[in-house]
Amino acid sequence: MSVIAPKFRLAYLLKGVLNDVFWIIVLVTLIGFPVIMIVLFYIELPVLEGELLTPFLAFTMIAHPELSMPLIDSFMNTDFFRIAVFPGFGFAALIAAGTIFAERKLLAKLQLRVGPFYCGKVEGILQLMGDGLKLISKEIIIPAKADKPIFWAAPVLFIGAAAAFVALIPVAPGWVVADVDVGLLAVFAVIGFFPIITILSAWSANSKFPFIGGIRALYQMVSFEIPLILSLLGVVILTGTLNLSEIVESQASFPWIIFLPVGAIVFFICMLAELERIPFDLPEAESEIVAGWLTEFSGMMYGLVQLGSYLKLYAFAGLFVVLFLGGWTGPLLIPSTPPEILSGIEVGPIAVDLPGSERFVDRTLNAELINGVIWFVLKTVGVIFFILMPRGVFPRIRIDLLLQIGWYKLIGLAFVNIFIALGLLYSGILEPGVIF
Amino acid sequence: MSVKIPPGLQLEKVDERIMTLNVGPQHPGSGHMRLIVQVDGDYIVACDPDPGYVHRGEEKMAEYRNYITNIPHLERPVIHDSCNILYPYVLGVEELLGIEVPERAKYVRAIASELNRFSYTLYWLAIYGIFLGHSTMFMWPAGDRELAIDLLDKMTGARVTHAYFVPGGVRNDLPANFEDVCIRQVNYLEKRLKAYADIFYDNPILISRTKDTGVLSREDAIRLGTTGSVLRASGVDFDVRTKEPYDAYEELDVHTNVLKNGDSYDRSKIPWLDMLESCNIIKQALEKMPKSGSVRVKLKPNPKGGDDEVYKRVESGRGSLGVYIVSRSKPEPYRLKLSVGSFRNLICLPYLLKGEKLGNMPAVYWSLNYWPVEADR
Amino acid sequence: MSSEESKTKPVTQTQTAPAKKEPELPKFEKDLSDKIVTKFGADTEISFVKPNRVRINVKKEKIKDVATFIRDELNFDHAESVTGVDFPKEKEIEVVYHLGSYTDPKLNKQILSLATRVPREDTPNPGKDSTKLQSLREIFYSVEFHERECFEMLGVYFDGHPDNRRLLLPEDWADIPPMRKDFATKGR
Repeated sequence: MSVIAPKFRLAYLLKGVLNDVFWIIVLVTLIGFPVIMIVLFYIELPVLEGELLTPFLAFTMIAHPELSMPLIDSFMNTDFFRIAVFPGFGFAALIAAGTIFAERKLLAKLQLRVGPFYCGKVEGILQLMGDGLKLISKEIIIPAKADKPIFWAAPVLFIGAAAAFVALIPVAPGWVVADVDVGLLAVFAVIGFFPIITILSAWSANSKFPFIGGIRALYQMVSFEIPLILSLLGVVILTGTLNLSEIVESQASFPWIIFLPVGAIVFFICMLAELERIPFDLPEAESEIVAGWLTEFSGMMYGLVQLGSYLKLYAFAGLFVVLFLGGWTGPLLIPSTPPEILSGIEVGPIAVDLPGSERFVDRTLNAELINGVIWFVLKTVGVIFFILMPRGVFPRIRIDLLLQIGWYKLIGLAFVNIFIALGLLYSGILEPGVIF
Repeated sequence: MSVKIPPGLQLEKVDERIMTLNVGPQHPGSGHMRLIVQVDGDYIVACDPDPGYVHRGEEKMAEYRNYITNIPHLERPVIHDSCNILYPYVLGVEELLGIEVPERAKYVRAIASELNRFSYTLYWLAIYGIFLGHSTMFMWPAGDRELAIDLLDKMTGARVTHAYFVPGGVRNDLPANFEDVCIRQVNYLEKRLKAYADIFYDNPILISRTKDTGVLSREDAIRLGTTGSVLRASGVDFDVRTKEPYDAYEELDVHTNVLKNGDSYDRSKIPWLDMLESCNIIKQALEKMPKSGSVRVKLKPNPKGGDDEVYKRVESGRGSLGVYIVSRSKPEPYRLKLSVGSFRNLICLPYLLKGEKLGNMPAVYWSLNYWPVEADR
Repeated sequence: MSSEESKTKPVTQTQTAPAKKEPELPKFEKDLSDKIVTKFGADTEISFVKPNRVRINVKKEKIKDVATFIRDELNFDHAESVTGVDFPKEKEIEVVYHLGSYTDPKLNKQILSLATRVPREDTPNPGKDSTKLQSLREIFYSVEFHERECFEMLGVYFDGHPDNRRLLLPEDWADIPPMRKDFATKGR
């Protein structure tokens, strides 16, 4: 084995730094300067407000807030920003990456070990980046008798479905990628895709272990979809709407978990089963069927499937927060900036002025957004913590016990939950569709 | 058929409805042994264990080595529990050669034997966790085992395969402040073992997977000739340390743990209870040990036994381990037979797995305290 | 000659003569061996009587009856192991059954060795030559795998055993049974 934590030697550090400096100088000289010369001398630069838009002017414009704030403002209100950065892919991927790292560290501490430690200076923070680079660099091996079009398409479909699921979750008031009136129904439809994709990828691999894993995944996901949907009916009855943003707004005073705890528990257990987390990780049972339906995936296909799994985890946790814990509602943590500061302050010799920020802070980056995001993230992280914990505590469940739980006990509890909701409604304690 | 069949190969006919699975030697769920399992849907119809993957011919090789060079050879079947495999062998050789072991050596042997019991049982518990899919049940025993191995390292110089017992005593005495370190680590181990109850034995999913599976009744356990934790989990109170005490166990106070149900849950609980008992035994042995004295009797070179035979048994981690030595006035034994607990318990496997669900197979199979390498010798 | 004194004797007894002439035999073990000899007479012979260990040599035709007697009257209920020992000079293979008892508390310490001899042929044909013995599997169920191992290692065929097959050896073993003395391991 190589040296794990090599001793520090000044000569090697200086050598590394000089090496980097040399290469930077070479690249800048050979590539950077010609590009700048071409831009300056051969491209027709536009004229902005009487001045030629040279690169110098562009740089100063970026630093000038009055000119750049409206740009940022309009960019943040585009659809592209919502899809790619927030609350869409970038935000979800960041939380997913954080979840993977937190899971490994949490599991390690639970099992009296340390977890990722060496990659990255502080307790292995860069471990995920290292894993990602490793997966990209590995060869993708396709079994000879596999059904190649479906086999290639399966991880992509998986990520697509997971991304569709993420797109439906509202993070802050007005900030959701797909604002549909039947949001909850769309969620059920997307959840219904996952068993199909799993069985497609298992079948197309044309091998014994993925076959067993795929069949088990099909059993598991299908039998837990029914209690999942039934347990949410209670919330729909009490709110009278299927739109996820409106469900959150109806919880401005009380989150629904206070009135429907049984439904929340049933939803949580079904969530664990849909995500194939321990104790329900039969489709990927290592000690019996090597890696279940993921056996034949290698390289970046495996990376995509893992990313999809964790995106699904974030989406489910987000759904739980939206439906039962009140979404983005919560007491005001960061107050909105008063308008006097926005239009400029002068305190003695110090003058602060951010022209153009008034409209930006008012319209887009307002206190509502920041508070909503903070509360949503806190609640989601809490729910994710409870999803990650059973991994260190429980062994794997057996398939007939799994089916008994899914078909008998959870459907029973879900019906109990519906009766509680109907009872609350018809006894007059709550009225349907009231937004407090 | 035009296929050339190698001589000696056994063939069998294939059925249409019943599927034959090879839970083979290279499988994350079987240790290094093959189980040929015939399955009808989810129910096991028949199970045919096929040990022999790691068969080395220990007994044959022992006939070529003399009584002293046999010591590192014979401890290889179970490397963690090596002192317990050598124990009946050295007791037998001492009886053949007429050697009397000093008092202090007897107590040191008892301490080494109990520490080996820790090392083996914690490893077995860790692998049981892997079979059930419980990663914490793998990590905690594997981590706590380091304490027992560390003590053995101080005592014998090796972490596993110690080659510590010799006919005439033990190889070397305990190091200087061994007693304090040992008591401290044993106390910590006892605390950790008691913490296992919450996460492992009271875990509802573990209980639902192991309770009432693979039930072995008391009469069957006696009739099948099982031994060790399998026997004690079915209600038979038999432990060689109490019934036929040897060496220092004649003065030590050993309490046998017996449970009544005979299912996989009880079989997985008995080794844990035995480990808690081992903590007491080690502390007793350290107290009662004579504080000074030699630990080894010098032997003449190339000792020969007479025309005699001897059968000795000792309680190892898996059950009573017997050694049968036949000697014919030569420095090598004429015949050496190891009657190991794993091989004796193997007969439970086809008996118990008939009619079980396939998902229960790892739980039942590993709960029989089966160590494939030892059964194959 | 009380039984307590004889049971705690040090283990340095040597046997140079047949056990019957030795004056200080442990009483309980002598009791056991006498019962067998009185019932079966000339077919059995006491080999030795030591503290906690008794050995009886039986002719191979009578082994099943002796074993039934031991199980029913003397309360031994399981076999600890079955060993085969090869004696090429005497052209015999000896099969030793070590029997123990779990149920009877007086017999917990005792191990009864039941030994028979079967003729040995120079070129073995396991299953089809004269090295045959009656299987004790109906009497003691626990000998099933031990007898299979004895079959494959020494070539002793057990009549009445349901499954005389290889256990530990690989499927394509085509050599003589390995525990015989004329099978030499590589390098020796």
